[in-house]
Amino acid sequence: MENSKLKIGIYELTGCAGDALLILDCEKELIDIFNAADIQSFVMAKSDNIEGDLDIALVEGSVTTEKEIEELKDIRQRSKIVVAIGLCATVGGIQARFLDPKEWNERFKKVYGNIEMTHTKPVQSKPIDAYIDVDFYLPGCPIGKEQFLIFFTRILKGNPPEKSQNPVCVTCKYNENDCLLKKGILCLGPLTEDGCGAICINHNLPCAGCWGPLKTGNRTSEYYLLKEKGFDVEHIKKKMANYSGTKIASFLKELEKEKK
Amino acid sequence: MRIVKLKKENLFPFLEVISKEADLWAPVKKYEDKHVFKAVEDFSEIDLDYQRTIIPPRRILLPPKTNMFEATQNTYKEDFSNVSKKIIFGIHACDVNALVIMDRFYNFAYDDPYYTRARENTLILGYSCWPDEHCLCKSTNTHIVTEGYDLFFSKLDTHYLVWIGSSQGDDLIRKQPSLFNEDISDKDIQTYLNWQKEREDAFQAEIDFIDMPDLIELKYNDPLWEELGKACLACGSCTNVCPTCNCYNVYDKPILGKNASKIVRCWDACTLENYSEVAGGENFRENRADRLKLWYTHKLQAYISKYGKPACVGCGRCIVSCPVDINVLTVGKTLSGEKVDAFWKRFNLQVKKEVRK
Ligand code: SF4
Ligand code: SF4
Ligand code: SF4
Ligand code: SF4
Repeated sequence: MENSKLKIGIYELTGCAGDALLILDCEKELIDIFNAADIQSFVMAKSDNIEGDLDIALVEGSVTTEKEIEELKDIRQRSKIVVAIGLCATVGGIQARFLDPKEWNERFKKVYGNIEMTHTKPVQSKPIDAYIDVDFYLPGCPIGKEQFLIFFTRILKGNPPEKSQNPVCVTCKYNENDCLLKKGILCLGPLTEDGCGAICINHNLPCAGCWGPLKTGNRTSEYYLLKEKGFDVEHIKKKMANYSGTKIASFLKELEKEKK
Repeated sequence: MRIVKLKKENLFPFLEVISKEADLWAPVKKYEDKHVFKAVEDFSEIDLDYQRTIIPPRRILLPPKTNMFEATQNTYKEDFSNVSKKIIFGIHACDVNALVIMDRFYNFAYDDPYYTRARENTLILGYSCWPDEHCLCKSTNTHIVTEGYDLFFSKLDTHYLVWIGSSQGDDLIRKQPSLFNEDISDKDIQTYLNWQKEREDAFQAEIDFIDMPDLIELKYNDPLWEELGKACLACGSCTNVCPTCNCYNVYDKPILGKNASKIVRCWDACTLENYSEVAGGENFRENRADRLKLWYTHKLQAYISKYGKPACVGCGRCIVSCPVDINVLTVGKTLSGEKVDAFWKRFNLQVKKEVRK
């Protein structure tokens, strides 16, 4: 029976470890998780880790050092399926804000000076799909319990999730919330992947976008809408960029052009 | 059909009597100016002075997310836990008419047991209303009710006139007939007629639905659809708030540690991208313009051609919900050649200007 279970590895690159922690925090289901899968490697949870061939690797965190690039490539080579979990792995995280490599270099020098890194060489923060092929994305900052458990169980049973995602607005309307955007508040719900349960709007706060940008979100229209409602363009841009990592780079470049 | 009279102070005692054997759902205030239907135990929460709830009462019959059944490899167990005796009190005419449309949708070729069982156990107690600037129901002729209700309350100064629309409605009255009386005076009738006349004149929003099927046909390739598609945020709100939208998705929620799955049904919206995604990841309506065209064809053409009336009951919810002002009023007016002031229009002008620059 033991060897019919799928071999799973859970890895952390650069991030707050919140996604790995969330998996551990599924207290009620933890026994079931460990029973249903053969967890080979999970540094946060155990010490007897085996780094061999895997059926599924769940990778949290963005890539910020050369050592992590090697680690990630090794994980890819050993795994049939790689899943990016959490905002840092899916889009690069809030640390992937400096898109222009020149600007990033300058910032780096300003913060760290001219020191020589001996352990490993730092690189500009990027999502894991900048270096390897990713089979599935599970967004969130951190990922949500309900969404994780459905995803995990489905993938274990060979029943992978759908490709395209809904915006936060869908659950927001399920919860019968009053629309903040309609009232003139900067809400990023239409541009953000659903999955959190519209938790901010349930508490009358606008969505800040922490589930990451919806691939096909209509940023141009919402940008003009917010501009028309009187928001400062730099403020809109910052809000949109905050949780988008490297994923809306071309949109932001277009906006720069517009300014000139 | 019979009409009886109920003193205002007898309303809550009546609700008290009828809610003994059923959950009573009624409008309550959720935000300063917005209401929702809620199962109420404390009647002081009920606020009948409301315009439209954020989500229409269809959510009471089919909630946004429900469990349909639990399945193993060779068994399945249906879950009808949403089916219970309910009374929805305070529904406006547009929403009563929308439920009549829903009854038809979910009973087309096959009966949808999740809807019909919930519906069979639900009584509809309508309530009169006064239009605001977004109410379009006079144009759709759904500002009055002729079917679909068990009781309908029209508010006059000191009492209600109560229309009895079904034998179940009659049974409710018979639970405590002493609360009602039958002697409707000439003065009462005149007050009602005056009220009705004033209400007819109070409607501000208007479109001509008669022309809509032809206009949709004639303007099927009009640049309008691309303009709408450019501005649409694909948030799905117009669809989720519409009382006559009925699409849903079904997905598996496998149970960890068991060889079983819950089969979940949730509302879907044709204005969302993943609505038309099929197995293999293909998508037949990736373009927002195509999706909006589908929505408006459904509301303004297909249903009219089949049933002689639009699949819009003029509730105004799409008008107060769409962040970019794409709604049945701005689209309908544009189709009939009228000028409208809407964000989607201004946005398209702006984008064109910038391209020219
Ligand atoms: S409040 Fe935000 S998330 Fe909710 S419907 Fe409006 S825009 Fe969408
Ligand atoms: S910021 Fe948006 S995506 Fe993040 S928890 Fe709040 S509502 Fe959800
Ligand atoms: S189309 Fe708009 S006005 Fe008509 S029923 Fe739907 S939400 Fe109400
Ligand atoms: S028409 Fe408006 S409410 Fe409907 S999906 Fe588009 S932006 Fe959202």
